[in-house]
Amino acid sequence: MTDDIEVEPATQTSPRHLAPGDVGLVTPRDFVYSQPFTFKSGQVIPGFTLRYETYGTLSATRDNVVLICHALSGDHHCAGWHSPDDRKPGWWNNLIGPGKAVDTGRFFVVCANVLGGCQGSTGPSSTNPETGRPYGVMFPFVTIRDMVRSQKLLLDHLGVVELQAVIGGSMGGMLALLFGIEYPRFVRRVVAMATTARESAQAIAFNEVGRQAIMQDPAWNHGDYPRDSGPRVGLAIARMMAHITYVSDASMDRKFGRRKKNSAHADAYTFEPQFEVEGYLRYQGQSFINRFDANSYLYITRALDQFDLAHAYGSLEGAFSHVEADTLVVGFTSDWLFPPEQNRALTLALLRAGKRASYAELATDLGHDSFLLESDELYTLIRGFLERDQPYVFDYSI
Amino acid sequence: MKTNGSKLVEKRTVDMQIIGDWVEPNTRVLDLGCGAGALLDYLVQTKHVSAAGVDLELVKITSCVRRGLSAYQGDMTTFMRAFPDKHFDRVICSRTVQELADPRGVILEALRVGRALTVGFVNHAFWKNRVNMLLRGRKIRNEVYTTEWFESRPANPVAIADFEHFCAVEGIQIARRVHLAGNWRTPCRTMPNLFAGYALYDLAR
Repeated sequence: MTDDIEVEPATQTSPRHLAPGDVGLVTPRDFVYSQPFTFKSGQVIPGFTLRYETYGTLSATRDNVVLICHALSGDHHCAGWHSPDDRKPGWWNNLIGPGKAVDTGRFFVVCANVLGGCQGSTGPSSTNPETGRPYGVMFPFVTIRDMVRSQKLLLDHLGVVELQAVIGGSMGGMLALLFGIEYPRFVRRVVAMATTARESAQAIAFNEVGRQAIMQDPAWNHGDYPRDSGPRVGLAIARMMAHITYVSDASMDRKFGRRKKNSAHADAYTFEPQFEVEGYLRYQGQSFINRFDANSYLYITRALDQFDLAHAYGSLEGAFSHVEADTLVVGFTSDWLFPPEQNRALTLALLRAGKRASYAELATDLGHDSFLLESDELYTLIRGFLERDQPYVFDYSI
Repeated sequence: MKTNGSKLVEKRTVDMQIIGDWVEPNTRVLDLGCGAGALLDYLVQTKHVSAAGVDLELVKITSCVRRGLSAYQGDMTTFMRAFPDKHFDRVICSRTVQELADPRGVILEALRVGRALTVGFVNHAFWKNRVNMLLRGRKIRNEVYTTEWFESRPANPVAIADFEHFCAVEGIQIARRVHLAGNWRTPCRTMPNLFAGYALYDLAR
């Protein structure tokens, strides 16, 4: 997921966090689970913390809840602002807020940083109570299912009795699908966007290049590095490469083309960045190392690669056989990481399994990250799916 | 097809009622070219069917999703190929055949994935169309064929005689047929290829 969403500059007269449709200032909270948690691998940790945010108000019946699941490099901060001085709001601020497609006037929205992450939830950079040092690669291997199970414990802690919807894009879509599979009576709707039932060889290959960039950096030191340093070069390269897979040829060409940096024309015969796209990727890499842990990147990409619904449940239809939720799968024409075909396959398997499922496809040229698109078509679709509780007034016209 | 104009809306109602009569309650129904989902919605409410629709346009899928219907955006033949034989109890192809690039392929695939197939179409050989063509010598235009040639999608207008010939050649069984007069309400029993405005077929293989 990229982090270059453009935001209007703040003005003195109308602070952005007070804009209509914005959830405003938000504060993350920590859910501390202090019982042993067994991972799918069989490894156990004595407890864990999930950092999460909520927007809107939990109803008295505790059933107006929408869970948002983030992608590989995302976090729990999906809407609102931590401070009026923030450069950017939460990563899905365009979708979530009062009166928006995911209406916080109606729903109680929850979003947690995944287990294995590095934005406040327990992961490889957390302190191992047995050694007093960061877990590093001693942290148990994490799966998408472990992420889902830990978030279900958070929802239980909040007293949530039913999810109106679980929504996610990319890896978040995998979590959303698995929520519907693992907790069929708990989940009423699943929205899975730009996602897949299992990664293709190409997607695994890209993840492996990222992991190798990290692990070949001497500063990685077999995962044993202090919190304030580590394989910064390797992590930046991993991010630069991954970033290319989140966009598209067309969108990069539109944004940068072959434009040169202002400083570049003096001497063309150097390896300093000359093209704007080079500078941009370096910026993406540098800003990523300041907020992401290299070991978390290894663990989460591994979880992505191992996610395989057909293998885990015998077949894709088998995986979906107990699903009770209505599912909406959304694909994007220019997504070449988790292409439309893989999103269609999810819907077709759900329908073969006799489930209620829809597939919608948006024509965009922004690549995999299109699910973060500011698009009225997308908002209408999501809102229509979430709010169609009342029976439709019958109308014979077509 | 335009929907404003009460006459046409009334025609649509008749169409839906006959299609509905052929649908068994609590069965699995697929609508090819489901549009905004009005027919499927009607079948869900009157027959409690398990409904799925296919359409090419995002706005149509969005409308279906808002009605709580399962809808798939994409090509109908590709969609049907993803299903085993007889997965659906009934496939419906209402006012779609004339717009298909490969009507034969779609109908045969629909008869594979469905135990039964409903096909409804406007009879192009209806006498008023013939007179219209004979006298004006131009593309037929009336309340059914509303557009000029240059603003129309490519179409394969089909006549009752053409369709029955196709069924005979392909060995498709016609379980039921309904021919309606020009008002699309009164049954038409005499020379339907000339006097029927609308035809509905219940097919099996």
